[in-house]
Amino acid sequence: MRHQGGWIQRLLQTGSDHGGTLSMLVLAAGLLSLPALAFGADATPAAPTEYRDIPYVGSRNVIWVVAQLHLLLAGFVLGVPIFAWLCEVVAWKTGEKRYDKLAKEFTKLLTSAYATTALFGGILLFLLISFYPKLMNYLTDIFFPSFIVYCLLFLVETATLYLYWYGWDTMQDGGKKKFHILLGFLLNFFAFFIMIVPNSWATFQASPVVLAEGSDIARAWAATWNPTWWPVNIHRIIANVVLGGYICGAYAGIRYLSARNTEERDHYDWMGYVGNFIGVFGLLSLPFAGYWLMREVYQYNQQMGITLMGGFLSWLFILQAMLIGVLFLGSNYYFWMGITYRIPGSEMKYRKPMLAMLIALLLCLAVWMTPHSLVASMEEARKMGGSHHPLLGVFGVMSAKMTVANLMILVTFMSFIMYWRAGKQETAGWAKVAKAIMGGILALSAIAVIVLGVWGYFVPAIIRINYFSTTQVLVVIGVMVTITPLTALLLKSAKTTTEMVWGKMPPRAGYALVLNAVMVILLMTLMGYARSSSRVHWHVYGVLRDTSPYAYSPALGSAAAIMALCTFFFCMLVAFIFWVATMGDKAKAPSASTKGELPHGMPALAGASSALDEPKARKF
Amino acid sequence: MSEVVKLQLIGLSVIGSGVLILLFIRATFVRVIGFVAIVLGLFTLTALSVPQMASLPPVEEKFDIATVKTPTDMATIGQKIFFSKGQCALCHTIGPSESARCPDLKGIGAKLSREFIFESLTQPQAYIYLDYRHEGVAKEYPARMPYINKNPIGLSKNEILSVIAFLQQMSGEPISVTVAELAVPGEVPAAPAKAAQSGPVAVAQAH
Repeated sequence: MRHQGGWIQRLLQTGSDHGGTLSMLVLAAGLLSLPALAFGADATPAAPTEYRDIPYVGSRNVIWVVAQLHLLLAGFVLGVPIFAWLCEVVAWKTGEKRYDKLAKEFTKLLTSAYATTALFGGILLFLLISFYPKLMNYLTDIFFPSFIVYCLLFLVETATLYLYWYGWDTMQDGGKKKFHILLGFLLNFFAFFIMIVPNSWATFQASPVVLAEGSDIARAWAATWNPTWWPVNIHRIIANVVLGGYICGAYAGIRYLSARNTEERDHYDWMGYVGNFIGVFGLLSLPFAGYWLMREVYQYNQQMGITLMGGFLSWLFILQAMLIGVLFLGSNYYFWMGITYRIPGSEMKYRKPMLAMLIALLLCLAVWMTPHSLVASMEEARKMGGSHHPLLGVFGVMSAKMTVANLMILVTFMSFIMYWRAGKQETAGWAKVAKAIMGGILALSAIAVIVLGVWGYFVPAIIRINYFSTTQVLVVIGVMVTITPLTALLLKSAKTTTEMVWGKMPPRAGYALVLNAVMVILLMTLMGYARSSSRVHWHVYGVLRDTSPYAYSPALGSAAAIMALCTFFFCMLVAFIFWVATMGDKAKAPSASTKGELPHGMPALAGASSALDEPKARKF
Repeated sequence: MSEVVKLQLIGLSVIGSGVLILLFIRATFVRVIGFVAIVLGLFTLTALSVPQMASLPPVEEKFDIATVKTPTDMATIGQKIFFSKGQCALCHTIGPSESARCPDLKGIGAKLSREFIFESLTQPQAYIYLDYRHEGVAKEYPARMPYINKNPIGLSKNEILSVIAFLQQMSGEPISVTVAELAVPGEVPAAPAKAAQSGPVAVAQAH
């Protein structure tokens, strides 16, 4: 086997070029994992060791938790720079300093979060080498060149992050600010590649391809360009934005709940809004990316697709529906509370549409959560004439689920538009026509989605998947790209009728933000389990069999316990990072709190004009 | 006490702790932890309330030719493979069913010759019409049926013959596969060379 001998040494040698924190962290991770080596060291050195174990806990469980935490932290570390950079660009374009302040507040988290992510990455690497040497040797033999690329990317990413963070205050004006924004762009650019390189290792395990004989780079490139690589890349980049947004929202929610004065309540209420907005923004497009990924999985290997959607993992997708449903409900609920409490007078005006949207969401969720086969006793099954309920069974198929998923996206988009327009009076002469067109587009698209969904029952699956479902997705995307600019144009000349009031949200708004973040984290842990379990008893699907005692995939209940544990650990880690990063602020808080930097309203996007962003316009 | 019951008790305890925190603790951060505990506990309990199906790796069937004396013995082994390692029952049913994704195999042993069944298992693309709707060279419709003699299922020739014996027996047909056809491991290739060359998704070779 090529590259087998001494690859670890070469890898460490490469890592030693970095210097500084990262190397120290990786070394520390190595030292931490040394006891694990001792636990399961093989007594017979004659045969190559394929697996090692750790007593009581099990090597698989340890790897599971550490890998999941690393992935979640990585998602956070890659999502937050996107979030921060967007806020910085908004601040630069609009001149609103509070966006810059928000961007800086989150970039400050990055330095400690980045180190923690690298630490968990190092621990994961050493544990994998210790517990799964056969698999690691196999992957190293294929991916060795991309390991080097990954190390180099880390080097430039670290340097860019340091420049971006430490140069924040000194690069505030003129050309320097532009350079700082360029640094932010580069930070995200390198971060994207840091994400997609390891994605290739993981996706190769799920969808391996032919590796022709050739140079190391040619083989690595062939393995990297596997069928699920890009779908996973796109899905993850969107998911990272969603994670970053909702975690920002949860942080704001907790700070809002513990706010000690009006300024803090104002600021964190506004921050919660921004976090929820960015989370929803990503969430609306996430199901499309997920659909593409599943489509590629089916095209690559129908067996794997069936294992996921119709085999032992089919119930997992009912849980996924529940989590996504709660996330949609939580996000909409927060929007509706915003309309009710931040825009006085709007609560009565929008009560009926909000009730209608709530009912629509609940009905959609009920359909989405209907399983294909019901859990029934023999007697019940006999009465039903099989495991499929005569009425509910109709909702258990993909055609129904695709339809309601698209409808939920449409409803959430309507919530967002409603929030945007609340408290404003359109003054343009063509406003009535524009509103009628928008209403027509929404109604027609909803009808089109339902008609295609019902029609989907009467056509072969391949027609439904290739044409009908794709058309449903395109219709919903079409609605978004049509109505969003039209609304922006309409509100450009609109008159603000109601002032935006911050800091008046009830405490349950803070808990709603926390709930949304927990749902996203749970979803990521759930789908991580799904992706890993879809390989069943293979390390590399169909190529390298898992012959360890852990070659089985645990049942959903046991897996959910570990997912919950990972979610809890991650929440605690993030809370710790936030606490450490803001410790210094608390010490100098009295002198830093100035009226001029506080949020006094929202930009036009949030439902009030920037003309009202003056201190005198605030009303409490 | 089963693992599910233990986990349910843990889940309930976590929820109970969360409720107690929300009822009696005033510190905001601790209250948020209590709230998160309730959410996670509810999630775990929900996951425990759905059917608990673990995916076990297929048992490596030891095909000991010495134990196979008659075609009926082959059919017995074939039945085991049909419902386990072969994963046939994941898509096919024996008798009509609403959940069947692929053809019902009831009576298939009487309808098709053993040679045709063997070819269907090892060359599923063989009799699928080409798609001429597009310009240029006609494309192949992808077969739903996987190559049974290749990974990830990877049945050996002996195992495939046993499955055919089972299908014939199940259809009430005389079993036309004979014990003499079974290959001694290591002497005969597992599958026809043609099938081995034309996989839909060729994979990297494990070292």
